[in-house]
Order: sequence, then structure tokens, then C-alpha cells
Amino acid sequence: MSVSANDSSKMNLRAFLAKYSVLIAFAAIVIFFAVASPTFLTPANLFNVLVNNVVMLAIVALGLTIVISSGGIDLSVGVSVDMASMVFVMLLATGYSGVVGVGGGLGAALIVGILNAILITRLNISPFLATLGVLFIGQSTQQLATSGGQPIYLTSGYAADQFNAIARTDLFGVPTPVIVLVVVAVAVHVLLHRSVFGRYVQAMGAQPGVAWYSGIRVPRELSMVHVLCALLAGVTGILLSATVKSYVPLSGNAFLLDAIGATFIGTTLSRERKPSVIGTLLGVLLLAIVKNGLLLVGWNFYWQQVGIGVLVFLVLAASFGLRRASH
Amino acid sequence: MQTAKREIAVSMTDISKRFGPVRALENANLQIARGSILGLVGQNGAGKSTIIKVLAGIIKPDSGTIVINGETVTSLSPASVEKLGVHFIHQDRLLVPTATVGEAVFLGHEIGFGPFVSRRAMERKAADLLKRFFGMELPAGTLVKDLTTAQQKVVQITRALAQKASVLVLDEPTAALVKREVDSLFDVLRRLRDDGIAVVFISHYMQEIEKLCDRVTVMRNGTDVGTVDPRETSIDAIISMMIARDVGEMFPKRSVTLGAPVLEVANLRLGGGFENIGFNVRAGEIVGLTGLLGSGAKEIVQCLFGLKTADGGSITVEGKQLALSTPVKAVRDGIAMLPEDRRAHGVALGLSVRENISLASLRRYSKSGLVSRNSENQAVDGLIKELSIKTPHRDALVRELSGGNQQKVAIAKWLSCQSRVYVLDEPTVAVDVGAKVEIYNLLNRLSGEGAAILLLSSDLLELVGVCDRVLVVYRGRLAGTFSGPSMNSDALLAASSGARSNADGMAA
Amino acid sequence: MSATTLHTEAGASDETRTTGKSAGRRFATLVVRLGAIAAFAAIMAYFVVFAPGFTSTFNLINVVEQSAILGVLAYGMTSVIIGGGSDVTEGGIDLSIAANMGLCAAVYATLLSMGYGDFLSVLAAIAVGMAVGALNALAVVGLGILPLLATLAVLNVAAGMELTLTQNTVVGASSPLLGFLVSGSFLGISALAWALIVFSAIIIAIIHGTAFGLRLYAVGGHPEAARAAGLSVPFYVSFTYVLSGFCAAVASVLTVSRLSASTPGSGELLLSVLAAALLGTVFSRRFVPTMGGTLLSVLFIGLLANGFQLLNVSSYWVNGVQGALILLVVAITSFARGSEGSR
Repeated sequence: MSVSANDSSKMNLRAFLAKYSVLIAFAAIVIFFAVASPTFLTPANLFNVLVNNVVMLAIVALGLTIVISSGGIDLSVGVSVDMASMVFVMLLATGYSGVVGVGGGLGAALIVGILNAILITRLNISPFLATLGVLFIGQSTQQLATSGGQPIYLTSGYAADQFNAIARTDLFGVPTPVIVLVVVAVAVHVLLHRSVFGRYVQAMGAQPGVAWYSGIRVPRELSMVHVLCALLAGVTGILLSATVKSYVPLSGNAFLLDAIGATFIGTTLSRERKPSVIGTLLGVLLLAIVKNGLLLVGWNFYWQQVGIGVLVFLVLAASFGLRRASH
Repeated sequence: MQTAKREIAVSMTDISKRFGPVRALENANLQIARGSILGLVGQNGAGKSTIIKVLAGIIKPDSGTIVINGETVTSLSPASVEKLGVHFIHQDRLLVPTATVGEAVFLGHEIGFGPFVSRRAMERKAADLLKRFFGMELPAGTLVKDLTTAQQKVVQITRALAQKASVLVLDEPTAALVKREVDSLFDVLRRLRDDGIAVVFISHYMQEIEKLCDRVTVMRNGTDVGTVDPRETSIDAIISMMIARDVGEMFPKRSVTLGAPVLEVANLRLGGGFENIGFNVRAGEIVGLTGLLGSGAKEIVQCLFGLKTADGGSITVEGKQLALSTPVKAVRDGIAMLPEDRRAHGVALGLSVRENISLASLRRYSKSGLVSRNSENQAVDGLIKELSIKTPHRDALVRELSGGNQQKVAIAKWLSCQSRVYVLDEPTVAVDVGAKVEIYNLLNRLSGEGAAILLLSSDLLELVGVCDRVLVVYRGRLAGTFSGPSMNSDALLAASSGARSNADGMAA
Repeated sequence: MSATTLHTEAGASDETRTTGKSAGRRFATLVVRLGAIAAFAAIMAYFVVFAPGFTSTFNLINVVEQSAILGVLAYGMTSVIIGGGSDVTEGGIDLSIAANMGLCAAVYATLLSMGYGDFLSVLAAIAVGMAVGALNALAVVGLGILPLLATLAVLNVAAGMELTLTQNTVVGASSPLLGFLVSGSFLGISALAWALIVFSAIIIAIIHGTAFGLRLYAVGGHPEAARAAGLSVPFYVSFTYVLSGFCAAVASVLTVSRLSASTPGSGELLLSVLAAALLGTVFSRRFVPTMGGTLLSVLFIGLLANGFQLLNVSSYWVNGVQGALILLVVAITSFARGSEGSR
């Protein structure tokens, strides 16, 4: 992808591609799968994609969008997902009500977030290393709590009813998880793009020194960022357990790459190449559609992983390559 | 001085370079002679650094000829220039912080056998060179990051000498040096000149140019406007060659009536920084603050904005005593700060003009945590107009603005806070003359509106031209307060170097 | 006109102040370094006293053997961090290295089981490993993608290809080379341990003995300075990613020999590799990653797991202790450095 820098018509083309690359890719991919698989565009399939592939990833990715906006990263989102899921399922297994279970699960995720916040803002550890350390510790904790990674299944009885109350209900035909996503997306959008807090987050991401010299309480806002991210990951943990009626240790990590990928796909949509809620949602949708499409045209799970890796790689290449060219 | 025609080492003729619509260089010429020290002066943006970057092979010129050691060179790269014996001592100390002195001196030209290096030999040879040229002795294996700024500069020059430089270009080499180090650097440069090396010395300090250089090339608007002998041409004449306008117009006149004291500082003390500092700034007053590097003047300003916490004493704004431990509190208490490092602390280049201006005052434009874009836009548009910030629109990225306009954005940020006290830390560094005048005008207007202004600067002319009163700090104590006729650059310089203790008496 | 601007004048006090500060910082750094090393030593001493058989020759050689795979991988990671700079978000990092090893192992074992000889199979594994490294180099150097993100994407590609190749199964393998690595020995030290010793000697010689290594540190420590010294920064950075891929391929041969097969799940090694490379910096006077420091922390991690095992402590603690150690080391490092640096 080398383009000479001086040609103005190429500049325009590049600007056009930069702005719409993801949308063009999106359209091309949808058309491709629609032609390749007759079931792809059926409402039943699209609904399935939305509920099973989009909702949970999107909520994690939205949390990560806040963190990446602030100039940081959270490698421990998987731990937040797992810890929420683990505490939730364990509480239900010991007979507590669904409300207590959800509260406990979110509380566990909150603890992960607070731990990250302390490491980053009090001990001045870089977000990457801090959340990497928490990732290690979180994995160890789960192994110790489940004698080496034994899953907990609660497929029948009282707990299963509680799970179904979360994952299998709907409001006016809209499944509860989708409603949760809509609420989360609107809230994060308002927070990130309309609120004072969001503006502070953007400023910290653009230049932390300027934020500090402008009288912004950087440590407090940064703590908030990491706690919010962990909490949102915790919401996904609850939804995950309720959907699969079980807790499988160390399963949250699967969200990490996809969530990072989705957020960066989203940044290619904005003029300043900044993370945004709408961009992230489109990124999640793109990944989900590709996964589903690959499945429908007969690729197995292993090839899907290659496909997604290649896709994320290409999007990153486009995003960074164009950014480099525009400077 | 030598009158014989000196051999030309580097000759650059009719060099032109455009960046888009901007003419950075227009038929510029530069002749560098062996065995002499050439001064290169000019305002920021005059083309000094561009022509040096052309010679360094970093920028390709659109047209022009470059002859080095009698040979016409068609294409230059940083590596090929060094092979021709032309070496650059860059303004920023380009040394690997975790390297030893020996490694830093010989990086790229290591001593050893085959692919293997001999660290002992490199350390020893570096130590020899340092001793021979600078009389400097460092413990073996000292790391670059443990050296002082001056020592690092010396290591950089040693690096060039180790590779048998025949042309040495120094870009602002004295900026961070103490007087004694400047003197020894000058001795070294004179010795190198006497050995037949061509030295190019770029500096903003006129007295250094006068002291050191054999010839001075003056640049303005991308071209060389003349080459003179500094012993025959006065500094004033050189400055007027650099500046199209008359120096006297730089500092606009103003008349304000001073009000009650707004900022009152008493007995302020910081361990290892300063002690017994007391002064006040009245409404409408511009008070200057100056001192040498390490005198404590900088630390006073940092304490006033909560970047450092004073160990004792009081800071009072409009009668209310403040406990300043973070900038958060300082901003809330109505203190505005224009930091020296604009890109790191002043404006966020990746944010828009609007986002930068409203950053410190967002609460004013928000209800229950949400920003009202209407009132924000109104306020921002008002400030853009008021300060005549040249920007395509309020949502343009600050990165796209010129240095002076970026600085105006940084000031606008505080105007929208309606601060009572403005603390400015070197506000006109790396800002061109036109923008400087606009910033001075802005200070005048702020003071006219009753703000109290404290201006930390090391530009003595600026202090004399702008301030009502100047406080001089020497070794952590107030060495004097100057105003009226006693406030001139000679007196300020004398007080800051400890030669004279007082003029007006201490301010209460 | 006289002086227009101020200079620092004969500042005896200024100078004592600056040197005093830097001496203080140096002292704090020393304390941190020695403290961390003392903590390591204390853990070791505990094992020596309380873990039965910890100091037996058999046990120690066993640890070295076990450490061979981690060590070779950690060298690759260390070289990337040296060349890319140790700023963790912007600097060099290769998250794909463990997955790359898994892919190379799969290629190696699959080719052996299809009847190709050792020579071709090893060559293929090395080619694949270096190709993955080259892909990382292209992404980081050519396209300017943050290493963290680029290698994360490549991790997925490599892991997916391994799964595709092996269908997530164990691929058994045997060959003369593998047989030699498993049972060969010289001077009473097994071939696997020798592999680590020889590989360590070569890589330490290259990185710490040659001009090339010196320049690599310059490229990572201050790219602008390296460029000003006429070095090609992209070349050096690319080299580290390809070297990292090469290390992955070498480690893949070792892992196949140890398990007599290519098995899924090699990606789990990544965290230990990162821990080894990051912990190694405390063994360096300059607080930079070094090959010697990496070797020490690899052995430390190996001894930690081994000691836990001998003390009958669950091996699930190992990850957590590694994570806590990373946080501890980084926290005291950032404390020792004080406010210097960006944040």
C-alpha cells in the first residue's frame, strides 16, 4: 500500500477510502455472503447473529472503547468477564437469588476494575503492564477456585430459571440481552461524546499533560475509566453465564482480541481516527457477520480464527497505513 | 584576525525549498570557510534550521547547488554527509540515555575486531578524547542519563571529533549550559578553528555571537540578507537586519491604574528550591519574575500552580488563603497557567480548537454533567474572534495551527475560565515576532481588565518592555525588585548573577 | 545594547543540586534493583531449606531442561523489546511468539509424520517461523501498526493456522534429531540442556558482544539518536521480529522433542515468556532488558514452578505469583524513577 504523497487526486481518493473503507468493506462482505449462502440474509439468521455474536462482544468492546479513548488499554477484560460469571454462577449454585447473583457478579468485576485503577493511578504502572499482571492473577484465582479449571454447569432447577429470566425473556419481542446492549450503548455514547467526563477522557487520551495542567483530576477520571470498563465486561460475564447456563473458567479471554479489533475498526470511521461508540458497534457487527458468514459457507471454527485474524490485521494495516500517509 | 582568503569547505548557493504554499528558502546562500567560526542568526522561521537541514541531508532542496570540499554534491543523506566530514550537534541531545559514554561516542563507528566490539577500548578512547579536548574526567562506564545537560552536550561534540569532523555545525549549543561551561565550550571551538576546522554556530544569544564568531550570516524570510564581521558591525545593526520592523515597536505602550493586591505571597519556602519569598501582584499589574536556571524562579511559579507543594508560607488570592497541592486546586481557585512546554502541557494537538479552549471551563457550559454544545460554541467563537486566532473553523485540530496561534488557544483556555491571576512561564519561546507582539497586546488587555499577571521569563528585553515591576531571584532568594528607570537589562542581569543585591528594596 | 537574555551563571549551587539529585536517583535505583534480587534470592533460599530434593543435581538439570523452551522464546521476546524500546504500549513486543511456536511445531510434526526427513522438516519449521516474524515486521515497520496490536492479530492468524493444520489434535512425531534431543547427553548434561546453553551463548555473544547488538540497543533506546548516527532503524527493528520468529521455530523443535508430539495449547506459554523478558530488566544496571537477565529470570520462573511442585503447592499459584512479581517489579521501578518520564 504505498502511495506517493504529492499527487492531490490520489490524496482525495485516499481521503475517501480512509473515510469509507470500513463501510465499503462492510457492504462488499455482506454482498459476498448473501450471494455465497442463501441463508445468510434471512431474518432468522441475522437475528441469531445479533443475539449470539453481537451483544456480548459489543458490551465488552464498548468498555474497551472508553479505555482506549483515554489513551490506555485493558488486557484484563477477560478476567472481569470471568470473575463476574464465576461469582454469579457460584452464588446461584449455593441458592442465592438472581438479584444477589447479579449484584455479586458485578461486584467481582468492580473489584477487578478498582485493582486496575489502583495499580495505574496510585502505583503509576502503565495500563498495559498493570492489566497484564491482573490478567495473570485473575487466571490463577480462577484455577485455584475451580480446582484447575472445572466448569460449573447449572442446566436445570432453580438456577436455570434465573438464567432464563435474564437470557430468554423479551420485551415487546426484543430479547432482554439486546435491550441491555441498547441501554449500554446509549449510555456510553452520551458519556463519551456528550458529557464533561467524556471530554476529559478524550483530553487524557490526546495529551495527559494538558489535561493535568487544565485542572482535570486525571487520576480520578482514569480510575473511573477502568472501573467502567471492568463493570461493562462484568455485564457480559452475567449475560454469558445466563446464556450458556454455566461458568467455564478462562473463557473471557476470547473477547479480548475481538474487542480490540472492533474498537480499532471503529477508529477508521472517524475523521480524527478516534474510538467512538458507533464505530465500535459497526466493528463488532462486521466481525460478527464475517464469523457467521464463514460458518455458513462451510469454514470450520479453526479457519474462522484465521479469517478474523487476517481481517483485523488488514483493518489495522489500513487504519495505521492511512494515518501514517496523512501525516 | 586573518585577512587571507580562507578556503571554502562548504558552499551552498541559490538554495530554494517550498513546503506547499510556504517558501521556506528562496535563493539562500551559505559559505562556510575552513579555520573560522561562522555565526548563523535569524528569527524563528527565517530559514536557519531549514538550510541546516538541507545540508544535513534531512530535507531535499527544490533547487540550488551544494559544493562540499570542492565537489558538487547532488544528493545528500545523513549518512553520506557524515562521510564527507560534516557533523551536526543537534539542539536536542541525540544520545541514547542507557548507553555508556564510550558507547555513545562511538555508536555507528565502534572499535573492535570483526563484528565484535571492545567496550574497554571504547571507554578508554572516549575518556582520552574528553580529557584532551575538554579536560573532563568521568568515572569509567558512566551512563549518558546520569550526566548533566552540559556533559551530554560535550559528549555529543566529542562524538563528532572522534570521527575527524572537518565541518562542525552546532545548533543552539549553549541553551542549557552554565556560564563556565559556555566559556570552556568556546575555548574548545576556538581551538578547533585554529586546527583548521570550519565551525558553524547557530544561536539566539547575540553577545555569544559577538564574542565567538569571525563572521555572521543573517537570514530573514528564507534568504540570507548579508554576511558581516561582528567586530565591525554592532549587535543593534545585526538585529535590525534580522527584524524588518523597528525594535521599539515590539512592546506596545499601555496605561492602567493599579488596583488592590490580588495575589499575595508571603514567606514561601520550598526545600532545595527557595526560601523567604514574599511579593504581591495588584489588579492590573504585570510583574516580571526572572532568575538563572536553578535559581528557584521556576519553582516559585510551579508552587503557585500546585505543580509543587511549598513547604511553608502562604499564597493568598483576593484575601483567600490557598492550599495548593495540585493544579486541580489552583484552577478552581482562579489561577491560570501558561506552561513553558506548550505541546506537552499547553494545548492538545490532537484535539480541536473548541475542545482545547473549553477544556478548563467545561462546567460552565454543562448541565448535570452534559455539555451544552450551543453555549460552548458561542463562548469559543467569541474567544476565537476576540483573540483573532487564525483557524479555519472552531473544529479544526490545533495541530494545524501555527505556533503563535496555538499559544493563543492556550491563553483562550484560561480566558473562558475568567481567572483572576495569570501565571505565564516563558510564553514567547519559539513564537515568531508577529505573534509575540500579539501576545504582549493580549497581556496588556488582560491587565487592563484588572487581572494580576506574573510573567516568568529569561528574555530581559521582554521583561523590561512589558512589566511594571521585575522580581529577580538569585540562589533561592529574592535578590531585588526593579521598576521605573532602575529596571533595565543590565541591572536585571547583574542582580540575577548575584553581582548587585537590591535596587528598590524588597516588596512587602 | 548589552545582554538581552539570561544564561545560567557560575552556578556552583545549581550543579551540586543536579548531581545530588541524580546521585539520589541512582541510589534509589540501586536499592530497588538489589531489593528485587534479594527477594528472588529469599524465595530460592526458602526452597533450598524447605523443598525436599530442590538442590539435587538431577532436579536442577531437570529445571534447566524444562527452561530450555521458555528460554529460547524469551530471547526472541527480549530482542524485540531491546530493538523496539521498552515503552510497553508504543514499544516493541511480540505477542505472537508462543502461537508462532505452536504453528512451527505443528508444521514440523506434521511433515515428520508425512515421512519427510529431519532436514526438510526443520527447515520448513524455521521458514514458517521466520515468515510469521517477517509478517510482524511488515506490520510494525512497514505499516506502522502498534506492535501490541499487530502481533495480537498475527497471534490469532498463527493460532488459527495451527488449529487448521492439526485439527486441534496431538500429532505424534519421532525422528533421529528428536531421539537425540531426548536421550543424548554430553558430560552428563542432556542434549536439551545443551541446546539452551549453546543457544544462550550464541545470542549473548551477538547481542552483548557485537557492534550489531550495541546498535540494536541504540535503536530501541533512542531511535532519533540512532538515526542521527546513520543507522537504519527499520532494518534493526525488522530484524528483531524475524529473530523472534526464528526463536519460535527453534523452540518448536525443542517442544516437539520434549513431548514427542506437537500439542495444542502452546499459546499459554506467552504469559511466562513476557514475565521472563520483563523481570529480566532488574538484573541490569541500566534497567534495560538483557539476554543474561532474561536467562536468570527464566531459570527463576523454572525454579519457582519446580519449588512449588516439590512443596506440593498447587501449580495454579505459579501464574498468580508471576503476575504479582511483574506488578511488584514494575511498581518499584516506576517509584525509583520518580516523576521522570511521561506519566
